[in-house]
Amino acid sequence: MYKNHFLGKSEGKKSRKVGGAMSPFFKGKKKAAPTQPVDPMPGSITSNLQKNLDVIKQTFGNSPDIIIRPLKTGFAKVDAAVIYVQGLVDSQLLNDFLLESLMKNDFPYDNQPSPEMLDNLSDVVIALGGVTKEKEWSKLLESLLGGATLIFIDGIGEALAVASTQGGETRSISEPSTQSVIRGSREGFTENIATNISMVRRIIKSPDLWIESMKIGTQTHTDVSIMYMNNLAESDVVEEVRKRLKKINIDSVLESGYIEQLIEDQPASPFPQVYFTERPDVIAGNLLEGRIAIFVNGTPFVLLVPVVFLQFFQTPDDYYFRFDIATATRFLRIIIFFISLVGPAIYIAAASFHQEMIPTQLMLILASQRETVPFPAIFEALIMELTFEILREAGLRMPKAIGSTVSIVGGLVIGQSAVQAGIVSPPMVIVVAITAIASFATPSFSVAISVRLLRFAFMGLAAAFGFFGIIIGLIMLTVHLCSLRSFGVPYMAPFAPYRSAEFGDAVVRAPWWATKKRPALSNPENMEREGEAQMPAPPQSRVIKNKSTEKGNEDES
Amino acid sequence: MNRKRAVLLGLLASLSVFMSGCWSERQLTDMAIVSAVGIDQDEEGKYVASYQFFNPGNIAGGLQGGGGGQSPPVAVYTATGDSIMEVHGNMSKKVSREPYYSHANLIVISDELAEKEGIASVLDAFSRGSQFRVTTTVVIARDVKAKDLMTTLTALDKVPSQKIMDTLETTEKAMGENINIDLQEVIRGLVSPGKEPLISGFTVKGDVKEGKKQESLQATDLPMTIEADGNAVFKNGKLVDWIDGSGARSVLWVLDRVESTTITIKWADKKDAVSYRVVRQKTNVSADIKGGKPRISVGIHMEGDIGEVRVPIELKDPDVLEKVEKEIREQTRKEIEQAIRRAQKNKTDVFGFGEVFHQAEPKEWKKVKKSWEDSIFPNLNVEVKVEAYVRRTGLRNNSYLSDIKSEQE
Repeated sequence: MYKNHFLGKSEGKKSRKVGGAMSPFFKGKKKAAPTQPVDPMPGSITSNLQKNLDVIKQTFGNSPDIIIRPLKTGFAKVDAAVIYVQGLVDSQLLNDFLLESLMKNDFPYDNQPSPEMLDNLSDVVIALGGVTKEKEWSKLLESLLGGATLIFIDGIGEALAVASTQGGETRSISEPSTQSVIRGSREGFTENIATNISMVRRIIKSPDLWIESMKIGTQTHTDVSIMYMNNLAESDVVEEVRKRLKKINIDSVLESGYIEQLIEDQPASPFPQVYFTERPDVIAGNLLEGRIAIFVNGTPFVLLVPVVFLQFFQTPDDYYFRFDIATATRFLRIIIFFISLVGPAIYIAAASFHQEMIPTQLMLILASQRETVPFPAIFEALIMELTFEILREAGLRMPKAIGSTVSIVGGLVIGQSAVQAGIVSPPMVIVVAITAIASFATPSFSVAISVRLLRFAFMGLAAAFGFFGIIIGLIMLTVHLCSLRSFGVPYMAPFAPYRSAEFGDAVVRAPWWATKKRPALSNPENMEREGEAQMPAPPQSRVIKNKSTEKGNEDES
Repeated sequence: MNRKRAVLLGLLASLSVFMSGCWSERQLTDMAIVSAVGIDQDEEGKYVASYQFFNPGNIAGGLQGGGGGQSPPVAVYTATGDSIMEVHGNMSKKVSREPYYSHANLIVISDELAEKEGIASVLDAFSRGSQFRVTTTVVIARDVKAKDLMTTLTALDKVPSQKIMDTLETTEKAMGENINIDLQEVIRGLVSPGKEPLISGFTVKGDVKEGKKQESLQATDLPMTIEADGNAVFKNGKLVDWIDGSGARSVLWVLDRVESTTITIKWADKKDAVSYRVVRQKTNVSADIKGGKPRISVGIHMEGDIGEVRVPIELKDPDVLEKVEKEIREQTRKEIEQAIRRAQKNKTDVFGFGEVFHQAEPKEWKKVKKSWEDSIFPNLNVEVKVEAYVRRTGLRNNSYLSDIKSEQE
């Protein structure tokens, strides 16, 4: 169904790897994207230890965190050096299993430095995984910066890179702060891509969970991995994601936001076309619907493509709570969306164009409150909205300790004094407050913030044309939303195009026992989600059993 | 090139917003919201219109107003003119803001004007203007000027026009002796040859002068009250008669507008001994031709409860109940026939029999259309059938009165 959205057909699946155990080894194995000029140092190492060390020192400009530890190893006490980056390696591991074994190594056959000596070290001495032999400088430096430890031995033109010494301080797994749920896992992603990937793998224990990794950023060499279910994701979409990621040529990727802005379909749209989340369960759930996750090292926010608009109004607990509750909350969120979009606009339009539409009693209240206000409704609304935005921004950036000051100043100055002074009317304060709360209640921050932008446009339309303007705006918005695509998938699906089969997980959340199929963006060959007759029912016999119905026990005393 | 064109287009589009935008905008503070319009006629035959404007600050209270009650909730301005539009123009000399009619919910026409000139020529301006609603209630000021109904303050509802509307609605529901009719229905009645409009009357009882003052509201028993008072009967757009009380209710019975009412009947030679509360009723009016003459049948079906008895009566006995039902039937039938006779005397078809006949016999109607009101309707054969059922007797069966009487014996 989605195939026709792509112009180019994939050239077949290449370079897919089956992710093995949950080890962070893939880092060292990655190949740089071909388009990136990543080779900072061509050439190979020499067999002269001192020369090699000089090259390293020179390359890093004598940076003090590049530790060079000279030592003697083997029966013949050959000169050797261990090189690592402080803080990127697990020093405990390094001392116990590498330095100690190397120094105590008196393997009798190594009388002369020979290429076999490296094999022997790898086979017998170093009790660590991920050992590779390399001679290219570029590869060696890449693994060094990735946390590996290099072992140079005098007289040998090759070096060992021990990748599994990787370690150092990282943030431990904690509760995600942006997407809190009442029910559901308390785990959130961390800044470490290996940890993040393992968290998803811990949820989906299937060999079909495939991971591809690459490095993006000519300076940062940031690890980026895409993850998908090989049997569920459409191969065309996977190929499209791969293509777009490969196309990126930028010096740095500091956060997944860089990737998001570089791969989205329509950069001119205010609406997000890539979903991001901090929660492994959200990623797992979406992978199982055929979506593709993009992990970026250094950020807990993992991207998801392709997305539909409704997804931004869904939360993980929608699927964990019972379906009726979840459905009701989803309806509420649609209402919230409209309130935060056109709340002030409707007030402005009604107060300055369509007074006949307000019930008389309400109209009198509005009129009496507005009697002293010196501004037209639109300016009043703009003042209040602007004030609120300032307050919000201040509350966001201020240290937590003085955050309460903002609320006091905001509450007193705006809520109380402005009204008492007659500069703004109380109804306007109510409208702005409801709108503000509604915009905070939107589950996705990225949609909430684009709606906040559009709200000002709607206020302008309402001030110029009244309800007519609002309707024109809504029509234009609908047209725009329907024209959007996220990786070829229509943004407004399942409404436009209309797919009744998917309504079970749109505004309504059908119970799990009625969700037989996956959404249409998954692989069409693998749509079955559950077996037959999953609806729970009480046991066949409905006879209530209690003591008095049993025979022979009629002695009531 | 393409970019330039896009920028130009964008500029043009934004120009259309900034140059044409806001032309019909009006802020709440720029308008005087009209709550009701009262129309009198002076000696020279000019219209004297009194506009009742809302005074929002005094109605809604709120923070700034310092609480309502200091000054009246409405302000009344009066202007004269040969036509309603001229009055509207003259009004601007007196009122600082533009009158806004969308929230006007009442038109009051004085009985004097309705008798002399008729209501038809007045109402066109209201039905034509886009602000005025066709659902605006119309009433006739009976024995007072329309202006008096505008200026008299009321207690429970702060706004007099609101009070008139609410009173009308309540009494139509509870008693069925006044008709709540809006502008649209009045005009339909005026143009239809087979129907005449019936418009409720309102009057001010008590001191009209005192009624204008806010201080008079300080009393619990107000010196003046606005009351519903009968219904005006029209012929050719002119007021010809007033009908009150049970006569008015009979008209509403036939028009199928009675929701609930109380019928009192005679029992054991005592007048108004038993009260019957109608809770459900349905009227069917049908027409046919009998012996070459139009004939109208009115069928009324009502169900209700016993509301009050003032004599000892054996309500447990089904035969007695049947007798009560029969009595109610007779009573209602008599009332209705009386009302029909009176309308026939006035030659005003307030019941809309002509329209019923029109619908039943469209061909015949064309022949009698012209002469309906003046020659056919007055001699019309109207058959009234009433069905009445007592469904409940309230929380009691027999009244305690029965016990008192038996002890005395």
